[in-house]
Amino acid sequence: MHIPDGFLDLSICAIMYGVTGVFWIFAFRKAGRVLSDRQVPLMATLTAMFFAAQMMNYPIIGGTTAHLLGGPILAITLGPYAGLISMTIILLIQALLFGDGGITTFGANVWNMGVVGVFVPYLVYLLALRAMKSRSGLFIGAFAGALVGDVLSAIFAGLELGLSTLSFPYSVSIAVMAMATHHVIIGIGEGAVTAIILSVLQKTRPDLLQLPKLSPNWLSGSQQ
Amino acid sequence: MTRTMRMLTVGIMISVLFVVVGVVWLSNSAETLDHVAEHIGASESPVWNPPIPDYEMPGLEGNVVANIAVGLVFMLVTLGATFTVGKCLRSKRRV
Repeated sequence: MHIPDGFLDLSICAIMYGVTGVFWIFAFRKAGRVLSDRQVPLMATLTAMFFAAQMMNYPIIGGTTAHLLGGPILAITLGPYAGLISMTIILLIQALLFGDGGITTFGANVWNMGVVGVFVPYLVYLLALRAMKSRSGLFIGAFAGALVGDVLSAIFAGLELGLSTLSFPYSVSIAVMAMATHHVIIGIGEGAVTAIILSVLQKTRPDLLQLPKLSPNWLSGSQQ
Repeated sequence: MTRTMRMLTVGIMISVLFVVVGVVWLSNSAETLDHVAEHIGASESPVWNPPIPDYEMPGLEGNVVANIAVGLVFMLVTLGATFTVGKCLRSKRRV
């Protein structure tokens, strides 16, 4: 999912930096007001864990591989703004030090994995919790959120590639289909792992799931 | 040991496991986007030369121990960077 330099037109790169920049401003402002001493160690631990998890590429179909993104768990435990900050740190280290994802495409990569891959799972999770009001809603919401989030991230990546007519010689539909098909399978894996981690956290450290969330007011209002 | 220290310890242990499993068993295949790009002939145009391309130390490519060391060091760098960012954001409120 990490788009390298050269795959996106510069105009698309600029637009993606712009829209992601808006989310960065809100996320850092909110974090400056809400982040607590209890949340910082958890945020650091989960960010390091998902940096490491992204090094594990497991085989899927057609000779390709996938790795966990981690956005859904970050969003559910700490809120989507904290998830965005964590994913930004991971993607920045990967791009600058390892060349995993580009510099010009950094805004697009953060949008796909740090905004869509974090806010969508959180929204689906909250909707499932509200609809089911039970323990099963927690796990179904986490699974469905991670699955939908992964597929939508891939669709956005496909859209960005497909709209980059100068850099990527295939249409939007082909790029979206190629990315989304594989990411349905990746999303099922992400969903299963998210539900399992949530289950372990609920049994061993339920207090971590009760921490205040770094999220937009319109989302935090619906949770409490 | 405080609950925070225990959480950090468990998190680091799981991360070490991820790095080792990732480097030793699950590291050498193409991601979906790489596969698609290869299929259609799209090529990268890097604007930056990363110091550790593809998570491998230059001159030590394919060395499993070096690759694990890279993974572990930068997992700890990520932990420290996030902790620092979190603390900086937190301290802004106290000023």
